[in-house]
Amino acid sequence: MTPSSETLAAAPSVSARAGFGALVRRRPETITALLLVAICGTVAVVNPAFLQPATLIDIGRASVVMGLFALGVFIILAAGGIDVSFTAVAALTMYSMTVLAQSILPDLPIAVILLLSTLGGAGLGVINGLLVHHLKVPSLIVTIGTQYLYRGFLLSFIGTVWIMSLPPQMGAFGRMPLLQFSAANGATITLPFYFLVLPVAALATWWILNRTLMGRAIFAVGGNADIASRLGYSLRTIHIFLFGYAGALAGLAGIIHVCANRQANPFDLVGTEINVIAAVVLGGARITGGTGTVLGTMLGVLLIVVINSVLVLVGIPSTWQRLVVGSFILLAAAFFVTRQRKK
Amino acid sequence: MTALAPNAQPQAALLELRNIQKWFGGVHALRGIDLTLQPGEAYHLLGENGCGKSTVIKIVSGAHPPTSGEIVLNGRSYAALTPIQSLAAGIETVYQDLSLLPNLTVAENVALSEQLVRAQGRLARLFDRKRLRETAERALAAVGLPTDRAFLGTIVSDLPLASRQLVAIARAIATRARLVIMDEPTTSLTRREVDNLIKVVERLRAENVAVLFVTHKLDECYRIGGHAIVFRDGQCVAQAPIADYSKRQLAELMTGRAIDAERYRTGVPLSGTLLQVEGLTADGVENVSFSLGRGEILGITGLADSGRNELAMALTGVLPAKRGRLTLDGKIVSVRSPAEAIGHGIGYVPEDRLAEGLFLDKSILDNEIALIVRRLAGASGIVDRQEGRRLAERLSQEMRLNTSDLDLPVGALSGGNQQRVLIGRWLSIGPKLLVLHGPTVGVDVGSKDTIYRVIQALAEAGMGLVIVSDDLPELLQNADRILVMNGGRIVEEVEAERATEDQLYQAMLTTRTEIAP
Repeated sequence: MTPSSETLAAAPSVSARAGFGALVRRRPETITALLLVAICGTVAVVNPAFLQPATLIDIGRASVVMGLFALGVFIILAAGGIDVSFTAVAALTMYSMTVLAQSILPDLPIAVILLLSTLGGAGLGVINGLLVHHLKVPSLIVTIGTQYLYRGFLLSFIGTVWIMSLPPQMGAFGRMPLLQFSAANGATITLPFYFLVLPVAALATWWILNRTLMGRAIFAVGGNADIASRLGYSLRTIHIFLFGYAGALAGLAGIIHVCANRQANPFDLVGTEINVIAAVVLGGARITGGTGTVLGTMLGVLLIVVINSVLVLVGIPSTWQRLVVGSFILLAAAFFVTRQRKK
Repeated sequence: MTALAPNAQPQAALLELRNIQKWFGGVHALRGIDLTLQPGEAYHLLGENGCGKSTVIKIVSGAHPPTSGEIVLNGRSYAALTPIQSLAAGIETVYQDLSLLPNLTVAENVALSEQLVRAQGRLARLFDRKRLRETAERALAAVGLPTDRAFLGTIVSDLPLASRQLVAIARAIATRARLVIMDEPTTSLTRREVDNLIKVVERLRAENVAVLFVTHKLDECYRIGGHAIVFRDGQCVAQAPIADYSKRQLAELMTGRAIDAERYRTGVPLSGTLLQVEGLTADGVENVSFSLGRGEILGITGLADSGRNELAMALTGVLPAKRGRLTLDGKIVSVRSPAEAIGHGIGYVPEDRLAEGLFLDKSILDNEIALIVRRLAGASGIVDRQEGRRLAERLSQEMRLNTSDLDLPVGALSGGNQQRVLIGRWLSIGPKLLVLHGPTVGVDVGSKDTIYRVIQALAEAGMGLVIVSDDLPELLQNADRILVMNGGRIVEEVEAERATEDQLYQAMLTTRTEIAP
């Protein structure tokens, strides 16, 4: 610092305010983590069966598809947009791929099936991105439109038949174990191989957001799109990347959903968007954009999955799940907002 | 200055605009602008709202393409610039909103642009965090901001305004700017913060960076020095060292007519007290008492944190007072909300007319009658548009709006006309007391003149007016008395006719240290 800098230092000492409040302000996902620990703790005390490997692996397995969707939603939310078409993207790609592998190209290796689904999803996402950019219409409206469009295309042109017997390579991928062991009661418990996709995708997303200029540009646009464009960020590139990436994740999630459930239902997935958006918001990302973390998003997903799958273990009827999720969203949101105001 | 220029030929022009024309639909916004900017020089772009200042800046920063003409930048000729070309050539624009990204850290706001420009706008590049920190540290030190990790990591929305301004300038330094354009940089700064800014500008110039100010505040232009560039109706009408012009000459060049720089206040207050304030206490206001006569104009000033803003809001129910007594027209009144204030005949023209006062996408008519729709509706509940239109026509004439099209959206008007619409709206309820908060912030010279004349006419008609402002010449020209606030209290009361700016500054600044050591 130059000697005269003291006189110029008009900035007040922005001291690192210690304490819980500051932590929550900077890392709102702390609340998510605390809620998660509280729920798991309570459930574990009431019903120790919760801590059995079988339950934990169930939770892990159930997180994959929602987690992939959530990463896509999060990255778009971070840039100040919103996407509600991802379930339709997933449904269209998964069903088309299944039909392709079943009746047209039965020898397609599973790696190619996964890759094509991802690319197909990316393509549909890029259409979203181009529409958002060139129509200059809010992404909510655009993606409501494309959700109907993609789903309508699927049901009108691809098929409405529930495919119960998958092509063998897809079924095999759904069963391929990553970990396998016998539980106390003799049943075999399997953590499927496809579970790996989620941590890998989460790491990749984290890397893009925090280690590339594109990642910083996404947050810049989420902060204020007009200013970002004035500073020289190309909104078109960013929109195409964002929606393409989210679409790719959705395509991947769709095909994994099929493999895991060993059936392809064209009426599946669409309708679960709110659940995913809820998870991302519970993870601390603001609906107005510009904030949030990959870790928070994953915690949010875990929170929703845990609520959905373990309430039964403590004797709370499953119809109550919605009540609980709803209250948590309001609670967490109120907490984030009051913290925001108290600066 | 030239001695500092690196090896290049001395005084090669940094930027040249040749016969720049710009049409917006049928509006001829720029009618052949020729400008030459030299490195290390300070320029003040002056002119009334709508004269083409902002358009020129947008063309230079790459936000708009010109309709015709040539831009010569560092010896290369362009028909139009993109934002990245402009940035890469070292042109950094600090808009009034500062172009900061509120959700990113100080370090990112300062130094991210440098990496973006280095990548020529391509985003598929690694983000170099070490480089970011180093660039940010260097640039922040140059503007005198802290460079510790805590400050680098602070989210910009948590910073006070003056520091944000310096952060925006630090970004200009980080991108190795050669021309920094500042759009009304001092509008919302206190005097001390302006002093800071001027020092930073001197430092920029010492490093051979040219600075172009767009401003309405002539006093600051004279303090900074350099060249004046005066625009009127999309043409450049003067370009010469600012010291060659008097304030009055500049004002005349801008408006194209003679402007009276004399005192506007010629009348005297009527007899009788209109408002008596006793022991008023609110957030930031402590035990304030004063009185206001009928037809009197009272000025209230002070630094931004002196309590002047809070006092204005307490008087008008925007931020209700905690304690104290208001007597209006001999009756004790309670002002707990703006609605109550309106009921008592107290009007408030807020400082931020865009955010707090006007419906920008609604017409002049709708804005003017906003306070009296219920009355216009009568018993039937249907608004009498005819009556409303007659009233709005009368108000617009009284406020001398420069358009007669009452259906024009207010957002399409210049700052001065918007302010007149807002004042006109208050006249519709015939208030006894009108509190004006920064009535000419962001308003050009010609509009200022009109607004002052209206204020005087209102006082002549017997209305009591309170002007809360940090524009001291404005208060000296318009008020009967001026109260100076400091640390939440009134520390000085002066007769405006005999007071000087220096005397007011003394009261604003010096007693402060005695009150809060």
